[in-house]
Amino acid sequence: MAKKKKNRNVAIVGVGQTQYSSHREDVNQPEMIHEAVSLALADAGITIDDVDAIVHGNMELFEMIHQPDLWHVLGTGGYGKDSFRITTGGTTGATLACAADNLVASEMYDVVMAVGFEKLQEGHTTGGITNMADPLWSRQLQTGALTGSTGYKMEKEFGEERANRAAMMYRIIMDKHACLNPNSHRSFGLDFDQMDDLMENSPRLVGDLRLIHMCSQSDGCCVVIFASEKKAKKMAKPPVWVRDHITVHREETFNIFGFDENYPVPMTHRFAAEQLFARNGIDSPVDYFDVFEMYDPSGWWGADWMREFFLFENDEHLKLIEEKEIMIDGKMPINPSGGVTAANPIGATALVRVAEAALQVRGDAGGHQIPRDVNHALASGFGGTMWTVLMMLERELNWQGV
Amino acid sequence: MSDQFGIKVEEIFNTMEERFRPEGAEGVDASYGYDIQGVGKWKLTVKDGQMKIEEADDLGDCVAVTITDADTFVGVNIGQVDAMKAFNSGKFKVDGDLGALGQTAKMFTKFVSGKKEMTVGDFIQDMFATLEERFQPKNAEGLDVTITYDIQGDGGGCWTATIKDGTCVLKEERIEKPTVRLEVGAADWVDVMLGKVDAMTLLSAGKAAIEGDSSLALKLGEIFSKYIAPGEMAEPEQELVRLKKVISVNHRFATGSVMGKFLQGLKNKKIIANKCPECGRLQLPPREVCAVCRVRVPGVVEVGPKGHITINDIAYYASPDPLTGETRETPYGSVNILLDGCKGNETFWHLLRRDQIFEVEESWNEKKGTRVRPVWAENRVGSIKDILYFEIDK
Repeated sequence: MAKKKKNRNVAIVGVGQTQYSSHREDVNQPEMIHEAVSLALADAGITIDDVDAIVHGNMELFEMIHQPDLWHVLGTGGYGKDSFRITTGGTTGATLACAADNLVASEMYDVVMAVGFEKLQEGHTTGGITNMADPLWSRQLQTGALTGSTGYKMEKEFGEERANRAAMMYRIIMDKHACLNPNSHRSFGLDFDQMDDLMENSPRLVGDLRLIHMCSQSDGCCVVIFASEKKAKKMAKPPVWVRDHITVHREETFNIFGFDENYPVPMTHRFAAEQLFARNGIDSPVDYFDVFEMYDPSGWWGADWMREFFLFENDEHLKLIEEKEIMIDGKMPINPSGGVTAANPIGATALVRVAEAALQVRGDAGGHQIPRDVNHALASGFGGTMWTVLMMLERELNWQGV
Repeated sequence: MSDQFGIKVEEIFNTMEERFRPEGAEGVDASYGYDIQGVGKWKLTVKDGQMKIEEADDLGDCVAVTITDADTFVGVNIGQVDAMKAFNSGKFKVDGDLGALGQTAKMFTKFVSGKKEMTVGDFIQDMFATLEERFQPKNAEGLDVTITYDIQGDGGGCWTATIKDGTCVLKEERIEKPTVRLEVGAADWVDVMLGKVDAMTLLSAGKAAIEGDSSLALKLGEIFSKYIAPGEMAEPEQELVRLKKVISVNHRFATGSVMGKFLQGLKNKKIIANKCPECGRLQLPPREVCAVCRVRVPGVVEVGPKGHITINDIAYYASPDPLTGETRETPYGSVNILLDGCKGNETFWHLLRRDQIFEVEESWNEKKGTRVRPVWAENRVGSIKDILYFEIDK
């Protein structure tokens, strides 16, 4: 696949996040959004007057509000500005980042603000997710977004004991990271010696997917400001360059599972990673990237998907987990923020991955900053029955010739 | 005794009878166990709108046993520990039927601390024990100060808080020249902290004295969050107004010609797929085009109706179905079936007969899962629900 044509370089220049929580009853939606907008503008050292356009997104129907982008003008500051609403399910936040990058790269706007939010306590998440299914048939079978199929697949391939330990180890590491991040909705203080106990006693949701593995429903807002190279170099903080991004969709796949090696299922995660890394000349993503902020809705998916994103063939992904190399001070830190199991304001969740990756590159992640230089970062989004977005961020502007 | 909250585990069990609500226990005939580690075991038996709580060694016949430590158990009961959080983190475990345990919540009114008489000395100890955790770094930015509390009389003592770089360290000590020193009687200070007396009243009455930076003394209410006595609930600062809305919307969807054939087929006890003319894969349900080859898929193929299970997703937790508002009984089996005539991943999604969900085998590579057959509804309307479920084909 050919490289994306970009008219000019684009950088992330400002990041703002609210505290993520199960309940933000102290504020309404525009007020909550305004908190993150204010923080992002302050981070960039600009005012709303400097913003040319706004892209706004959340899950469709989750709060049962038609045209939330209109209502939220009070909080985004979008009055009189070009605004676009984007909603692509779980990937919404990542699509916001891609769209903002495209709008600036196209030379149509110099500064674009991406606003992702969700206030899940105000609607019905399962209602929203069930509406994703085809109303003519699968909606009548589906309740919610849970499946144990990944656990089954990993157990069959690697044995029950090893698969379960890897998924729980991954989950505990995410919780350890969440405890370092003051914005986390959930940080339990789990320890590795609880592994056997949790594997046995955490209530089952579906198959071997247990309550502790699964992400939450959170309230919160994330804002990321994108600017052209010329503008970015004049901003308050060092720019974080958007190198490339890719979006891959496929048809609804409620009924497709890869349990027969003679009939492999091409997974959008692997397809996206292969394309993106090939066109950027990256042979070994695990060696190239210094951090990966992954959209990991559960411990099982996080553990399994590492294999797809890093283009591993065998059990390299499990070894990275077992040797704790995915911890903040490990060889391949994954989600120093705590990831999606720490906070999941769905329409913001994938944008949080980009925001956190950018903070790591800038060295501004505070208590969960990786304790060495972060030059190359990867962020992912996941949604629907299988959609993938990947975005690459860079500290230096030295890769155009690649 | 729960050290953290100053309430005995026994108090919670001993007050169960007076807190019992027979209307919440209607139709319940079950025993529930409580294994409070390091304290003891209790058994609650509920039948015919009556209850009995007793200490018991054997909790074998209980439908659900709660296993936790004293602090967590008391904390959850008095609302100071978030039950979901304790549950998620493994501090609060349930062995047995979680749903059944949920019923007990309706059977009892909330536990209210037995108003244990705390002495002035108890309060003073508790206030200083919680001072560091009540510290609000956001409101102490840039502060580099020492605050000495000279609490006089019975139950008193002298403590000094050192605030620097956004941290607060409290020591039971007297230091030379603190930034500010407060001198007050123990009983008066307890009254101030519990909000019964205003500090300014004490000062003007000469019952308290401030030495040093008095403006700092006035900021103490911001630097530390309000003291909450053990067993008391924090009062929200403001009443939050919430509006509840229920939206109910009817939908009508056109099936299109292809899905229409599929649904019509179900009405006639037939399962219909279609086959891509380019790649040869079957689509089930049939689709207008093959998404991979981007070509129209003409014609239909009948498959099944028998097949073998590829995956049996056993759901232990069911969200309420937004289409009906009902919650399915759990556990249930959400299965993918490779119907006869299909191959690879061309599976069909449906439900498994509930009493058979633990009896079936799943597929893996060459190994085939358990054979199943559809059970059809008597009155079929052209819906996926025309198949009630699949059952083992014995």
